[in-house]
Parts: sequence; C-alpha cells; structure tokens
Amino acid sequence: MSLANALLPNRAVDRGMLVAVAGFWAALALVIWAVSPFQSLPGPLEVYRALGTLWWEHGMGPELLTTLKLIVHALGFTVALSMLLSYLTVIAAFRPVVAAVSKLRFLGLTGLVVPFTMMTGGGYSLKVVLLTFGMTTFFVTAMAQVVVEIPREQFDHMRVLGASEGRILWEVVVLGTLDKAMDILRQNLAIGWAMITMVEGISRAEGGIGALILNQNKHFHLAEVYAILFVILFLGLVLDYAMGVVTRVLCPHSVLERMKR
Amino acid sequence: MADGDKIIDVEDVSQRLGENQILKGVTFAVRDRVRPGTVTGQIVGLLGPSGVGKTRLLRIIAGLDAPDTGKVTGPSGKPTFAGEVGVVFQNYPLLKHRTVLGNLLIAGAANGLAADAAKKKANDLLSRFGLDARASYYPAQLSGGQRQRVAIAQQLVRQKTILLMDEPFSGLDPESLGNVMSLLVDVANMDELNTIIVVTHDIRAAMTVSDTLFMLGRDDPKAKPPAGAKIQKAYDLVAEGLAYRSDLEQDPKFLALEQEIRAAFQKL
Ligand SMILES: Nc1ncnc2c1ncn2[C@@H]1O[C@H](COP(=O)(O)OP(=O)(O)O)[C@@H](O)[C@H]1O
Ligand SMILES: [Mg+2]
Repeated sequence: MSLANALLPNRAVDRGMLVAVAGFWAALALVIWAVSPFQSLPGPLEVYRALGTLWWEHGMGPELLTTLKLIVHALGFTVALSMLLSYLTVIAAFRPVVAAVSKLRFLGLTGLVVPFTMMTGGGYSLKVVLLTFGMTTFFVTAMAQVVVEIPREQFDHMRVLGASEGRILWEVVVLGTLDKAMDILRQNLAIGWAMITMVEGISRAEGGIGALILNQNKHFHLAEVYAILFVILFLGLVLDYAMGVVTRVLCPHSVLERMKR
Repeated sequence: MADGDKIIDVEDVSQRLGENQILKGVTFAVRDRVRPGTVTGQIVGLLGPSGVGKTRLLRIIAGLDAPDTGKVTGPSGKPTFAGEVGVVFQNYPLLKHRTVLGNLLIAGAANGLAADAAKKKANDLLSRFGLDARASYYPAQLSGGQRQRVAIAQQLVRQKTILLMDEPFSGLDPESLGNVMSLLVDVANMDELNTIIVVTHDIRAAMTVSDTLFMLGRDDPKAKPPAGAKIQKAYDLVAEGLAYRSDLEQDPKFLALEQEIRAAFQKL
C-alpha cells in the first residue's frame, strides 16, 4: 500500500517511505559510480582516502572556516543592502534605482574584478565586495518583485483599521514578506556558495576552500578535487537546512501555508 | 440623535473607471432607527446584481476611494475617511504572520488603543465569537467561517459607528448563514447608532437582517455603453412590518415582497 503511494502520481507518503526512497536512489547512484566505465575518474574509495589526506595534511578544516567567514560576511552586507533597496520600491522615486541594480545581474563578475580591485585594494575585501555584488543583484530582483506583488487589499485592510502609513509599511511590507525574504535569502546563499570557488580563486593568498580546489586541480589530483566537491555540496546542504530551520522559527506561519497546498 | 437623523448621507456619488461609468448619481441616506425601551442599531441591505458596482460604492463610503462627483458624509457631519468606518472585505484579509489574537491586537494598536485595553477587548470579542480556543492559531489554520468571524471581530476592537460588509453571506452553509445573520443583528444592537451596511446579492438574507433595503442598478443594463448604476428602489422594512422579527420566513407578506424584489432584480 505504502509502496504503491510512492509509485503512483499525486500521492502523499510518510516519512519512513521518504527515507527509503531517498536511500534507494543514493545506493543506486553509488553503484553506478563504482561500476562506472570512465576508469580515469576516481572511485568512491579513492575519494574517501583523499578526504582524509586533505583534512589531516592540507588543513582543510581551517580553509573551510575561512570560506564560511567570507560567505557570512558577504551575506550580511547583501541582506542589509537588498532589503533596504527592496523596501524602497514602495516609494516611486526610488524604483528606477532598484530596477537598475536588479539589471546589473547580467554583467557577471569576471569583468568587474579589475575595477573592484582598484576600489578595494584586492585581498579579502575584494572577495567580500564581489560576492556581495553578485548576491545583491539577484536578491534585489526577487525581493523587489515580492514587494511589488503585495496585493493592494492588504494595504486597504490596514488603512481601514486606522493604521498609519509607517505601521502599514512595517506590518505589510516588512513583516508580511519576511517568510518570502527568508526563502530568497536561502536561494541567495546557494548562489553565493556556487560563486565561492570562483571568487576565492581570484586571490588565493587568503586560502579558503576555493583556493584549495584550484591548487588540487592544477596538479590533476582528481580524487582530491572530488572530495572537495563533496564537502562543498555537503556544507551547502547543511547551510540550506539551517536556513530552513531559522525560517520556521521566525515565521511559523510559512510552514502552515505550505502544508495547505 | 433622534429617530430619523442621518447617520450616513450619500449624495450624488459618481465614479468612472477608464471608459466605464460605474456609478452615476448614487444618493441615499441611512437614518437612526429608534425603538423606545430598546437599543436598536441599523442594518441596511445594499442589493444589486453582480458587477453593478457595489464594491466600488463600498470603497467610496469607506473613504478608500474618492468619488468623481458627490460626497459621503459620516455621523460627524464631515466626509468619511479611511479608518473612520469599519470594513469587512469580501475575502476577509488578515495579517497572515499574526495569530488570531495578534490580528485583533494590531487593530487596537492601529487605532491608538492602549495595549491593556486592546487586550481586554480582544479577549472579550474572541469569547463572544466562540474563538477563544483559536486565539493562538494563524489565519492559515482557520476555516472560512472562523476567518470571517475573526475579520469581523478585528473591525470591532475599536468601536466604530459604521461597519461595511462586502458579501458576508456568500459561500456559507445554511447553519453558518444563520449564525452570521444573528451575529450581525447582535453587533448592530450593541449601540443605538451602530449601523451596518451589508453589500450583497443574496436577496433573502438581506431581507432577513435589514431594516432598510436599497437596490443598486442601471436604468438599462443592455445599453451600450452602459450607464452608471444608481439607487433604483428603497424598501423600508420597518414600515412594512418586516423588521425585528424572527418569524419572517413564514409571513406571506415577506414571501410576496421577496418575489417582488426578485422580479425587479431581473431587470437590473
Ligand atoms: N479597477 C477597475 N478598473 C476598471 N473597472 C473596474 C475596476 N474594478 C471594478 N471594475 C468594474 O466595475 C464594475 C463594478 O465592480 P464591483 O463594484 O466590484 O461590482 P460588484 O457589484 O459585483 O461588487 C465591474 O463591471 C467591474 O468590471
Ligand atoms: Mg463586489
């Protein structure tokens, strides 16, 4: 019965079944990898051993901390900047500025390295600025849309209750969209995380997981590269999960609305 | 105030949206009903076919939109403004990030009520509306009927003379319909000046709760371009002896009037 639910369309499954299904696919992936015909690629065991080497001999732990510090730093700036810009869209005079920032996402980062290096002097602050720039353009795009799409009736509802425009801004625009802002933040963390190797590669002196992977790449240490990729993926998932938990604590109602679907 | 004093005066209200003349010369007044020895508020039914402009008129009365011509005067003798008049919108908007109690408290805060006064009032309303057990629920956890009651309670946290309701009878099962109707009567009779304007296309429900009915409609619905809607007819149900009774639906006179209104409705 329960297995049928997992195989037929539009059925709900319980948690145990979900774990079983996920386990099945994971095992299948592992088998395919182990018997993979591409012999030049490292197998699971090699990657596992490389992970040990990296951790104990190449100081992977501290490198990870360096990277985490960078992303948290950039994320903090991104949130402050993007939220401010998005909320400003309620004032007509600021809309063109916000639209322009949003369009900058098409620029990509590569061409911006030189001007940003000249502005920041390079090194750590260059990386923070690059990451912040990259994430902010995407964050503002999504968040400004959320603010624009607040139904007019929500403003009218608060006006009828006698609320001042300041209170309406706080309740409807800020608190009312907090759950969506958290979701967008979560997506942006993923975008930032995906950019991290590239950004850390620009200036390797400070180290970080991105510098580590580039160094291994240079020497064709494929097993090591794979091991680092796994760590990047795993940490990304942990960060994503943590963001989900924070969202649920801050906005308990968001979970309820999702369950109703 | 005395019997017959104007509580709301709608004078020559017109509204045009783009090419469409929606309202044209809407004029009516709601007057204080006095029954010696009782506290009797007013319930006015504003009837009209779907799409005729009832919601647009409600927004103008609430002070949310300005009419192109004419004006709406409230009990203070000045034009109504947003925040003066309570409005229960059609789909019962609530703050989804606040609990039921939180939604009521916000209404108090928005109206400048002191926190402890708001809390007391909110808890009173929750028990009166049978919502105590739902105080800590979020709007997403409420049924349609519960949501409606929260939306009404939210408008009552700060006592306002006028309450406008947009289609409060739509989508209710017979039992909930009865409950909402008696809730409206209770709310109206909490104060002599309380006045509820119920916007609806449900003729029978409107006749059951109201003391006065106004019919909003166009002179010729088939005309192109359509002319704006105005008050086509008014029924004083008190004068007809068809108000303040619970046995209305057995009265042949009630049924005859219902037929008459239904027939008139077809032509709007
Ligand atoms: N924002 C708008 N712009 C143009 N026309 C509108 C707008 N809102 C409503 N209308 C039109 O005004 C008419 C009256 O609408 P409404 O007051 O909502 O009707 P109802 O009597 O069903 O409440 C409808 O024909 C509708 O198409
Ligand atoms: Mg309507």
